[in-house]
Amino acid sequence: MSVLARSVGNAFRNNIRTAAVVAVLAVAIGLALAMLVANQAVGAKVQELNASVGTTLTVNPAGGQGFEGGGEPLTTAEAETAASVANVTSVVGTKALRLQTATTGTTDSTTGSTQQGPGGGFGPGGQQATVSTNLTAAVDAGTLGNRNNASGTTGAQPARTLPITATGIGAEVDSTGKALEITSGTGLGDYTTSEAKALVGTSLAEKNNLTVGSTFTIQDKTFTVTGIFDAGTTFGNNAVYVTLPEAQALAETPDELSTMIVTVNSMENVDSTKTAVQEALGTDKADVTQGQRNLETAVSSLDSVKNISMIAFIAALATAGIIILLIMVMLVRERRREIGVLKAIGARNRTIGLQFVLESLVLVALGSVVGAVIASLASGGIASALISSNTSTTAAPTTQRGGGLAGAMPNGGGMPGGGQGGPFGGASQLLTSVTASVSPGVLAAGIAAVFAVAIIGALVPALLTARIRPIEVLRGE
Amino acid sequence: MIEVKDLVRQFKSGDRTIKPVNGVSFELEKGSLASIVGKSGSGKSTLLSLLGALDKPTSGDVVVDGVSLAGLPDGKLTEYRRRDIGFVFQQFNLIPNLSAVDNVMLPMEFAGVRKAARLKRAKELLEQVQLDPEKQSRRTNRLSGGEQQRVAIARALANEPKLILADEPTGNLDEQTGEHIIELLSSLSRDHNTTILVVTHDRSLARKTERCFRLQQGRLTEEVRTGSRR
Repeated sequence: MSVLARSVGNAFRNNIRTAAVVAVLAVAIGLALAMLVANQAVGAKVQELNASVGTTLTVNPAGGQGFEGGGEPLTTAEAETAASVANVTSVVGTKALRLQTATTGTTDSTTGSTQQGPGGGFGPGGQQATVSTNLTAAVDAGTLGNRNNASGTTGAQPARTLPITATGIGAEVDSTGKALEITSGTGLGDYTTSEAKALVGTSLAEKNNLTVGSTFTIQDKTFTVTGIFDAGTTFGNNAVYVTLPEAQALAETPDELSTMIVTVNSMENVDSTKTAVQEALGTDKADVTQGQRNLETAVSSLDSVKNISMIAFIAALATAGIIILLIMVMLVRERRREIGVLKAIGARNRTIGLQFVLESLVLVALGSVVGAVIASLASGGIASALISSNTSTTAAPTTQRGGGLAGAMPNGGGMPGGGQGGPFGGASQLLTSVTASVSPGVLAAGIAAVFAVAIIGALVPALLTARIRPIEVLRGE
Repeated sequence: MIEVKDLVRQFKSGDRTIKPVNGVSFELEKGSLASIVGKSGSGKSTLLSLLGALDKPTSGDVVVDGVSLAGLPDGKLTEYRRRDIGFVFQQFNLIPNLSAVDNVMLPMEFAGVRKAARLKRAKELLEQVQLDPEKQSRRTNRLSGGEQQRVAIARALANEPKLILADEPTGNLDEQTGEHIIELLSSLSRDHNTTILVVTHDRSLARKTERCFRLQQGRLTEEVRTGSRR
């Protein structure tokens, strides 16, 4: 019988005690794992927020945003000015277009002419040019689309086809600065040159039977689909991305930008950089908005939850270690005579020590199995409880998912991302969207930590066995 | 040959110094069966623990086949116990949750004997001590006192030791079973040419050994050659 087999056997000498020890360990280990899972989930969320919108600023023409207001359009020269501001890591310009299906467009659009929004018609605010396409929108107008297109007259309106949002982009990001998720094909390559290539949203591609390599027309120009992207929303997927110069050329406004997405090097510098960019561009030229303004509190709350869960993880881990320590000390005291016997018949100290460490690991392994089950059942609830208790007083109570620009658009359309909700949808929405899923990797890491602590906890009693003298065997003889 | 040279073990008890073993000297030939008798508290078990390297003497030495135990480090003493000594205790001191075979295999495992070899030898030894084969795989806490002592003797023989030290081996057994155990020890001593030293307060048991020592107040005061054996 090997040391391991003896250790396993010893762990089950007293089944009632073993069950009790495993139950106590399971609670501690389960709590530790649940806290680790919560910590990882919140950490991932914080990272996601910081990576996507946490460090971006949006620059719109002063006095105009989306399709409302007025003012002068942004220019590429202003983009260069913004890029020169300290802590700015990148500036991505966008140019928004509206693609109107040729058969349903106005007389002008069917002839291929470009319509600039004059504050009425298709483009209030002058921010968006309308061009014709042979594509059909993937979104039906429905009640909202028809209501948004109503011209003010009463009575029944004819059903309309929604326009398709096209955006010229200077990098492989969407109009909020978030990386595009291309599900098939490739990106557009060089986003700073004018090329007849396009990325098409999944639902738009499906509606028009487009695949990678298919072609379609914008303003009678043939574009090749290089990739299909998934924006995650129905509205977002009814869109087309082309390179920025291509969009500017289609709109016949080669130097104009609809918006600029300014990325700051760290979240701590966002406030100061926002002020600096605003000053550099001038308050009469540009409005700089901090997309994640209402997220700062949320991220801060999530950070608190992350810290609390990490402390709780460490505390639960230490508790498991102490439980092992105390139990093994008790077992060593209880088995002094047996240890004396083993020494009397020639067992080395390290053999006996190893036997006790392995015995403790058997108990920990059992506790870990039960603890993992507890964690998988409880981690979601624990994470929610932690988040709700830490954010109820700090999170902005925003109930609207997806403020953005969608609602301001005629036809229910808008800039890509405007109707997507997501990060701009409010802190409370974000906080409740934290999902604590038990991944094998996190569980393995947690259990490895538990075993490491258990080994430390078991080493003390194992070392105690070395101090027991073999003459203990004669005690009571 | 076992040589015990002026062995002393003393303890402090408050202001008093107690010497349960006080200048003990004797020699045992290889393969001999000897006994030490004495009243309770006469120092028998202390002497046995010194001979078995369970404890260290205050002074004096034990020499086994020319090797002195005095000054040996703990690791070497462990090796001495593993290789050269077999213990048989009054309360058997078997590991209760292990089977008889596993108990006998333990000293061989500590000595690094391969599993197949130690299993074979353990079964042979249990046969020699006449343990019912069907009880060999039974947990020792489910065996009778006599059976447990047979397992303990088999365990003591596992690594073919030079010296077997038996501390009151019949103390927990009825008279008939005790007789069997002594006969067993005697035959094993002959068959294996192993030196056996039995510590007992039972004069009748001592008479069955070929040499008998009396320990009184820490001193070996009398040696009686019974000549009853062989």
